[in-house]
Amino acid sequence: MPLKYAYHPGNVAHSGSPEVADTMDAVARNLGLELTPLEGATSCGAGIIKQANQRLQLALNARTFAMSESLGLEILTPCAATAGNLKQDLEKLRSDNILMKEINDVLIKTCGMEFTGNTEVHHLLHVLVDEIGLDKVEKLAVNKFDFRVAPYYSPYFQMEGACGGDSVNDPEYFEQLVQSLGGRPIEWEGRVLSVGAPGIFSEEPTVLRQSAAVISEAKEEGADIIVSACNLSHSILDIYQGKASRATGIITNIPVIHLTELLSFAFGNHNTRFAQLRTRIAVIGD
Amino acid sequence: MSEDGGSAEGGLEDFLNSGDRSLEVLFGSQSGNAEGLASKIAKIAKSYGLQGNVHDMDGFDFNSLSSKKRVIIVCSTWGEGEQPDNAEELWKFANSGAATRLEGTHFAVCALGDTSYELFCESGKEWDGLFEKLGATRIVERIDCDVDYDAPASEWTLKALPALAAVDSTGQFFEDMVDDIVQFASGSSVGAGGEDGFTVPVIEAEPIQVEISIFRFDPSDNTTGRDSWACSIPGHLSVLEALRAIKETHDGTLSFRDGNDDDPTTAISVNGRLIIPGRARLDSVVTSRGDSMKLRIDPIPGSEVIRDLIVDHWALERKRESSRPWMVAATREGIQTPQGVFGSMNQSTALRIHSLADYDSAPLLHSSSDAVPYANGFLGPAVLASTWARRNDPRTAPERVVELDAILGSSNGIKAETDLAPIFRRKGYSKSVSEGLLEARTSAIENDSFNGKLGKHVWWYCWTVKSSGKVNDTVLYRQVLGPIGLLGNLFSGVTARMFLGFTRTGGNVLNSLQGMVAPPAGIGKMPRQLNSSVANHHQVIAIYNEMDGRF
Repeated sequence: MPLKYAYHPGNVAHSGSPEVADTMDAVARNLGLELTPLEGATSCGAGIIKQANQRLQLALNARTFAMSESLGLEILTPCAATAGNLKQDLEKLRSDNILMKEINDVLIKTCGMEFTGNTEVHHLLHVLVDEIGLDKVEKLAVNKFDFRVAPYYSPYFQMEGACGGDSVNDPEYFEQLVQSLGGRPIEWEGRVLSVGAPGIFSEEPTVLRQSAAVISEAKEEGADIIVSACNLSHSILDIYQGKASRATGIITNIPVIHLTELLSFAFGNHNTRFAQLRTRIAVIGD
Repeated sequence: MSEDGGSAEGGLEDFLNSGDRSLEVLFGSQSGNAEGLASKIAKIAKSYGLQGNVHDMDGFDFNSLSSKKRVIIVCSTWGEGEQPDNAEELWKFANSGAATRLEGTHFAVCALGDTSYELFCESGKEWDGLFEKLGATRIVERIDCDVDYDAPASEWTLKALPALAAVDSTGQFFEDMVDDIVQFASGSSVGAGGEDGFTVPVIEAEPIQVEISIFRFDPSDNTTGRDSWACSIPGHLSVLEALRAIKETHDGTLSFRDGNDDDPTTAISVNGRLIIPGRARLDSVVTSRGDSMKLRIDPIPGSEVIRDLIVDHWALERKRESSRPWMVAATREGIQTPQGVFGSMNQSTALRIHSLADYDSAPLLHSSSDAVPYANGFLGPAVLASTWARRNDPRTAPERVVELDAILGSSNGIKAETDLAPIFRRKGYSKSVSEGLLEARTSAIENDSFNGKLGKHVWWYCWTVKSSGKVNDTVLYRQVLGPIGLLGNLFSGVTARMFLGFTRTGGNVLNSLQGMVAPPAGIGKMPRQLNSSVANHHQVIAIYNEMDGRF
């Protein structure tokens, strides 16, 4: 019986990272995941909207939760920032009946919808390990991902109740996944540290130092590639890596891909792209 | 008792000292509250002539209860009426056909829960019903405690313990002795030493085999590395005690801050978790990897390491010192008391002020920010949480509020934090601290009228989500960075990496016609110029209009 979820792509899959959308489709097919797109879902707020008005972000996300409830499906997303933000808001609403009623009053008035709290938010990584099982993932892997991989979790879903059965402070799901796909995970501290993605516009010098430190640790520990479970952080690790190097004098060139790309390549999809990636790792270096 | 001819007091003492006087206290705990309460109950049981034995439900042999005469269950409820993780297995067993009958056992249940959940105290109710079903005798009615459980649980304990103490070693209950036992216990001093009348006993645990890896730094030759030891250490020892043991028995040169169990300056990182080592039991922080347990100990991040696990707190203290004014009181109304005139404050305000700075360790909170090590001059979350608390204190003079706002809104203030998520995800301080930092940031942005890069980022983010339901990165780049910032990205390679993104992703050069209409948006990893709207976009606009008309 296929696992069914309401799908939230996160903030960047429709924009600067179309490769997430491409590869997620293929991965879902391989895994037998039945994803129903949340066509009306808004941005999760990325922790930005709540800086202007926390209740506004709660209302927008409550609308998304209400949509998933009406479908009778829990939410799945491939982005750690989206998973973390949605989960945080879900728990905040669940833990405060008065707040929940106030937000529901707004939803009823503006959308004719009501949110009961009877949904859940999952990141793809936790569904892979907790629901699908790494033994099945291993069987699906036709291309051995034979690299030294730095698995990047980000801090966003590494909190109580948001990381499935994994440890909050010392996670291991991503490393286990990489191993099941034939890769060799490195040990590094940067895997749960923020690269400052929400501050890229306002505090760029600090963000560049943060991201340079994370990338350089991965390189020092011998990684050939960083795989990110956070699509938002990926944009900093990938697009800004050259600028981070110039700003800090630290060498930061390394290929960075999304978790969905890792899975798609290992499952035998997008073989041309995987060949390009092999070339990038072996020859180009970023 | 007086029928025996002895004095009532003497007879009572004999009763309380004869035969099996054990009391089994089982806890089912998710967050540690039930565990702490079970420990308190076991400690105070001594005053009633009982020997309290605390048991974690995880791994407990349920059928051993058949020979026990007195049992207390302290159990919290997790999620939507679920048993806590450590109680699940026992609960399953107790409901299986293999569970023993409990005739001859007297029991009492203290249920912890949260009234904001529909199934309030469900786990405790389930245990209460099950014990009755298995033939045990309820000695006092179950209590269902809300989140503020201290007072009701203490009151209930003072009813449950004398009643259970009046059960003899054969399982017979002497109801007429309960009042005498209460009177007897009131003269006892046991348990009076703790802050709340209870003193928490140590729940002893078996030794655990653990590999301890500790960060080392020698300032004399500026070398860093790690040392590892395979140890067998009782799980109930604190991390601080474990460090002392290693220093004493393995390596006398190991350096760490030693002090009282709750000394905030002793903060360290254990397996990525920031802790006060005197307060953390070893078995609560070890990580299991396959067959082995590991403990990776590091200095807290964000401060200069002096030697091994010792960091320099001076930089933090200097930042704290710079966040003046500390407190300049406003003229305000007072109340006349026999001791003189005192200022007054209503309870909710007082609670809020305290909760905003409700952290035990400034170094620990400071190090929870991932930006601190990289943002020169950034005051950090600990200093800013205190500043925000003072700024909201009604006793602060209005002109000082302006100065505190200036600190919070400065380039080293709350806007210098690149990401609040790492602070939100940590434990060790109250949620109110993280929430307070978010409020401080909102306040700083509003005081700037959404100007400056952070203000513009937040404003345009909200605006683009209102416009289509999705964030439009192109608008953010253009509006927040402006032409100079965009040129900076052009020459630093950011734009090139965006434009050439298709060479890394294998995507099409032009992934939509938009790229043709408004180049270069939509090419490679350049975000699109225009977003399609989400379904029922009018609902999004209606929510904005209802909740915040600024965007």
